[in-house]
Amino acid sequence: MSKLISLPEAAGLVRDGQMIALGGNSLSRTPSAFARELVRQGRRGLTLIKTAGAYEIDLLCAAGAVAEVRSGYIGYENLYGMAPSYRRGVESGEIRVVEHACYSVIAGLRASAYGLPSQPVSGFDGSDTPALSGFLQVEDPYTGKSVYMIPKIRPDWAVIHVQHADAAGNARIDGGPFEDVLISRASEGVILTAERIAPTKFFEDKPERTNIPGFMVDAVVHLPGGAAPASCYPLYDTDEGAVAAFLEASTSTDASPESLRDHLRDWEERDHRTAEARDYRQTEKTE
Amino acid sequence: MTLETESEIQAARTAADQMAVCLARELHEGERVFHGVNSPLPMVAIFLAKKLHAPGSVLIEVAGSVDPRPDRLPFSTNDPALCQGAAAIFSNADAYDLFARGGIDLMYLGGAQIDKAGRVNMSYIGEPSAPKVRLPGGGGGSVVMEQARRIVIWRVVHDRRTFVEKVDFVTQSGNLTRVVTPLAVMEMREGGLELKSVHPGISVEEVTGRTGFPFDLRGEIPETAPPAKDELVALAEIDPDGVRYSEFAALRRAPR
Repeated sequence: MSKLISLPEAAGLVRDGQMIALGGNSLSRTPSAFARELVRQGRRGLTLIKTAGAYEIDLLCAAGAVAEVRSGYIGYENLYGMAPSYRRGVESGEIRVVEHACYSVIAGLRASAYGLPSQPVSGFDGSDTPALSGFLQVEDPYTGKSVYMIPKIRPDWAVIHVQHADAAGNARIDGGPFEDVLISRASEGVILTAERIAPTKFFEDKPERTNIPGFMVDAVVHLPGGAAPASCYPLYDTDEGAVAAFLEASTSTDASPESLRDHLRDWEERDHRTAEARDYRQTEKTE
Repeated sequence: MTLETESEIQAARTAADQMAVCLARELHEGERVFHGVNSPLPMVAIFLAKKLHAPGSVLIEVAGSVDPRPDRLPFSTNDPALCQGAAAIFSNADAYDLFARGGIDLMYLGGAQIDKAGRVNMSYIGEPSAPKVRLPGGGGGSVVMEQARRIVIWRVVHDRRTFVEKVDFVTQSGNLTRVVTPLAVMEMREGGLELKSVHPGISVEEVTGRTGFPFDLRGEIPETAPPAKDELVALAEIDPDGVRYSEFAALRRAPR
């Protein structure tokens, strides 16, 4: 049974107010096209989960799609500095932040993946973060050692951009997997966007290289270039000009709905090339 | 946008080289070291140390690999291009677990605000409930600063907005040994951060004038050892694209 659908159909699975864990890290293997489609469809009130994020978080913030962010780091690193729309949203009180370390995001996701209500983490003693975010300190019952308990983070969706997927949802990630295997286990549902739709034999030949088994996946979108303007190893690098153009568009005027629309229009043709996915389904049948 | 003068550009280049060398000297042979996102100077410093005095140190980096040998250093320190030549992938979660087990000797961290007690703010300027500035957040720092054996902080801006009496919010603290800036090296002692050395051509007065907390100035403050010839040669070899310069505003738009 094929799970291949178009990008608009896949983004349509996400409802207003849901919690999404986004794959990749910073400007690497970011589900950028998926985020753009959520904005095109006018999604609102989302809670975003990511250890370290940049463009796609900032874009969703710029569009007013975000109610809450739980993250260790949101910014463009030193090339472009802070994420201006995220920053503006938090400073205006429009976006709620649950202050985290990357490791406590991981702990919350692990609680969900392990079927537990919370997960202890070490560290944090010299930090104001637990008090601010309401992470409770408890004593380990065996040793009396104090640990912080991070409540379960169970996203409605994990959205992950991968290099290889098949129509059944088996996925292989080349290069660093970041937290993508974990978010696939922690989330209620999984949506993949993939550079390439491979025949299932590709996965059967090396099952130990399959990061996400198809049974966990709800939808697959064939989306070459779907991480751009972020990079997708080893296929393409970060498009620094495009990142800079987006930042200019999203900061040049205060609300900038027009420039944001222009940005989305610029990418629309590329994002909607998913017609190829349908062509693929037909070729697969005749193979 | 101001056009930086030739002398400002040269000063920033000198400071970047000095900082890279100071950071490299903090990594000892055989140690395990980690660098995070947004860490060009530490990344360059680690490769420099591995080339010179710490060839047996083990680099675990945030893009997810162990001891990579990339053809060229990327400008983003979590660019997967960095993983090239690595024999093993080691995901972020794996790395944080290793920190939690006490398995990392040294990590380099940044900081938007740093105070005398070595506490670091990467989160909010002003009240967290109604912040004047929402900063990017501490990344892994707020747990790993307590877990690494040693923490070295680097910051390319040395001013009173950065080095403050008391941080607005403690994102992280603990295990700090050194702070490296374009002006000086600070050292964590019992009473807090003190001046260890001042870089060549910088006066103690300039450092104190640009630091928002006091130093104990009894006794002589030595000059930081300038980059040695072999350090400069190795720097040029491992970082021909000038990744180490990318953190300096004066150099970001200058020809590299």
